[in-house]
Amino acid sequence: MTLFLADKVDKLFPGVRALDGVTLKLEAGSVHALLGENGAGKSTLIKVITGLYKPDGGRLVLDGSEVQFGSPHESASAGIGVVHQERNLIPGFTVGENILLQKLPTSRGLVDRSAIRTEAARWLAELDLDLDPDQPVTELSVAQAQLVEIAKALSVESRVLLLDEPTASITPNEAERLFRVVAKLKNDGRAVLFVSHKLEEVFQICDTVTVLRDGASVLESGPLGDLTRDQVVDLMVGRVHEALALPPRTVPAADPLLELSGVGTATGHADVDLSVRPGEIVGLYGLVGAGRSELAKALLGLDRITAGEVRVRGQAVRIRNVRDALRNHKIGYVTENRKEEGVFLEQSVSRNIAVTVWDRLRKALGYVPAKAEAAMVAEYVEQLGIRIASPAQLAGTLSGGNQQKVSLAKWLAAKTEILIIDEPTVGIDVRTKDAFHTLIWDLAANGLAILLITSDLPEMITLADRVVVMRDHRVQGEVLNDHDYDTMSQRVIRLIHAEGTTAA
Amino acid sequence: MKRFAVRFARTTEMTLLAICVVFFVGLVIASGGDLLAANSLRVLLQFLAVPVLIGLAQMVVLAVGQLNLAVGAIGGVAAVSMGVLMAEHGVPVVVALLIGFLLATVTGLVNGLLVVLTRINGFIVTLATMTVLLGVQYRVVGTRTVDDYPQSVKSFGSHAVFGVLPLIFLVALVVAALLAVMLRRTVPGRQLLASGGNPIAARLSGISNDRSVIIAHTLSGAILGVAAILTVASSPGVNKSIGGDWLLPSFAAPIIGGALLTGGSAVVLGTVLAAFIVRFVDTARAEFSLEPSWVNFVVGAVVLGSVVLGQLRSRRQERRTVVKAPDAAVAGGVL
Repeated sequence: MTLFLADKVDKLFPGVRALDGVTLKLEAGSVHALLGENGAGKSTLIKVITGLYKPDGGRLVLDGSEVQFGSPHESASAGIGVVHQERNLIPGFTVGENILLQKLPTSRGLVDRSAIRTEAARWLAELDLDLDPDQPVTELSVAQAQLVEIAKALSVESRVLLLDEPTASITPNEAERLFRVVAKLKNDGRAVLFVSHKLEEVFQICDTVTVLRDGASVLESGPLGDLTRDQVVDLMVGRVHEALALPPRTVPAADPLLELSGVGTATGHADVDLSVRPGEIVGLYGLVGAGRSELAKALLGLDRITAGEVRVRGQAVRIRNVRDALRNHKIGYVTENRKEEGVFLEQSVSRNIAVTVWDRLRKALGYVPAKAEAAMVAEYVEQLGIRIASPAQLAGTLSGGNQQKVSLAKWLAAKTEILIIDEPTVGIDVRTKDAFHTLIWDLAANGLAILLITSDLPEMITLADRVVVMRDHRVQGEVLNDHDYDTMSQRVIRLIHAEGTTAA
Repeated sequence: MKRFAVRFARTTEMTLLAICVVFFVGLVIASGGDLLAANSLRVLLQFLAVPVLIGLAQMVVLAVGQLNLAVGAIGGVAAVSMGVLMAEHGVPVVVALLIGFLLATVTGLVNGLLVVLTRINGFIVTLATMTVLLGVQYRVVGTRTVDDYPQSVKSFGSHAVFGVLPLIFLVALVVAALLAVMLRRTVPGRQLLASGGNPIAARLSGISNDRSVIIAHTLSGAILGVAAILTVASSPGVNKSIGGDWLLPSFAAPIIGGALLTGGSAVVLGTVLAAFIVRFVDTARAEFSLEPSWVNFVVGAVVLGSVVLGQLRSRRQERRTVVKAPDAAVAGGVL
């Protein structure tokens, strides 16, 4: 019996069709997998189903009748429970209060604590959880917090349960426990949607599957039993892509500028080996949460490196902070959070570019001659093709692509030799993207060592000379790029989903 | 129950209670037992009523992740309005006090509405309303001191039960108790704390963060209304400087009491105890005839010390567990 149906759902964002006629069908007493690469539209679909986003087309059908949700509250009241990717518990509250937060029981105008205790205990028992409802949630482990969130999702008498990457931050043992709970929910006749990047889990607990690619459903509610792992990967990756034709570029045989061996960090990396030579683009690929940006931040001294060795130009170094990285090692970092960390939106383009080089331009008493600054800025505006009315224009008024170029220009102005570029083309239209790719390509041709972090597989295959694949804060393996999209995407995705660590 | 006792023993409140007791015993010894005289105790508690309330008025907005810079101005305007109405316009006592109380409450409500409707940071909104209200206070009372109001008000302010417990101190305790019940046991109170503790989770649980912010500011105004009544009753007169020295103590009490500036903590008892500690510092100064500047010095040091302690505490907790407040909920921010 179909409990829930999302029928040909569209969701438009400015310039992007995030969901394009997606259909999702959830059956009672069945676990359904929702799969897709980063940015395929999984989270958007969940947000539409729970009423956080309003769909621009299509309809939602619950239990045979069409429904519209204006808020998460409405979808919850209708019996759709969600466990979001982010932790969603209130820190100062007890387990019981968190479970029943959506509808706190009262008697005579006051919150009824004994009712909270008994009712929460009922939901905890339903999940075979041995927790005290009076315990503060701050005392829980990650896995316990996760299960409490499931209890919370069930507490609205939900018959449809959406689990968005519930195993992303728990150990395999804890995951097994979660799966037992999911199996129980399924036997009770609930419909469960399971979003995960871990294919082994999906094959272990799911019955049917929907695969999203670029916002469209390429497989709608197919039985999982008929598919092999490779077929699923094929569906997720797709086969059609027109690559940007870039001129050939050879990497000169030279010693690596940047080299990591056996690096471990305070954020959980272990045994990371990596090297980038001058004139080389090394891609760092992995799913969201694989620890790529965190690795970059550790390299810049923003997080502690706890093991292994980082060598710059053959010398073992300990980089203390970004200032140290820039001044003493000529390492630059183009952040993925352009608006928050990349540019000063309320400042002129000129100031934005000059910020890294004021030390070089300044005269006595810290005075920066306007002429020298203007000349330097003009050089990079020209080189990167930044479209501005004047260097005094505020960075916040530029398009996303031009802002990104400004964010890049300041590192070029600082004459960095090693550049870490993090998700350079997120939220940038296709044409500007191509221009950006050409730019990064040229930078490498001019001898820069580039470490490129991107979740955009086509981008990776267009640009990188080698692709290093990360998962769970470790290096899974390395693939030499032959710039053939079909074979490359297969090899990279297989490496991500491979069990254990293997070299390809 | 035993578990509860263990948990309580580790709380900030327990630490503060211990400090209070030590402080008090120390003062009693230093004064050669004079402090235990009914009159000394009465004076000690008399001057505690208003500090307790202004601390609570700030605590309730901190609980939702906001702050209120206008505490003194709201209390000041309400106090001088009540005084002028009674002394110069012959308005009956009860009516005048009620008008002052409602004035403060509505001002709080306006603060909340402005924050929610304009999406302007609460710091700026309350800074602006504070400045406006200081102007209003001056306009109402000018440079004169109004003290010609009915004896009934003044005897309310100086009456003490059994000669020891000042009535106004009991009023402050009742307000504290009501606020504690509201925050701990009512649905709007729980929702307010949920919004302060994790606004995203609160929203996903169907809670209106805007409503929580408005309720917090309105409550803050209402508590300041009571503080203004107690001020009128217990001071020799009201003038333009009433409320002028409220802002810093209003932050000191909840912060020493263990409130998180990021919101989500309800520390009624902690705020009350912290007000006691600040009062003891003042008493100690009088006892040892120290310069008044020592009080500011000590209170400042205690505020810093308790924030550092609180951070150590939460860092230790973070290392053990996972559920923590999101960074987004900084003081003064609204979602």
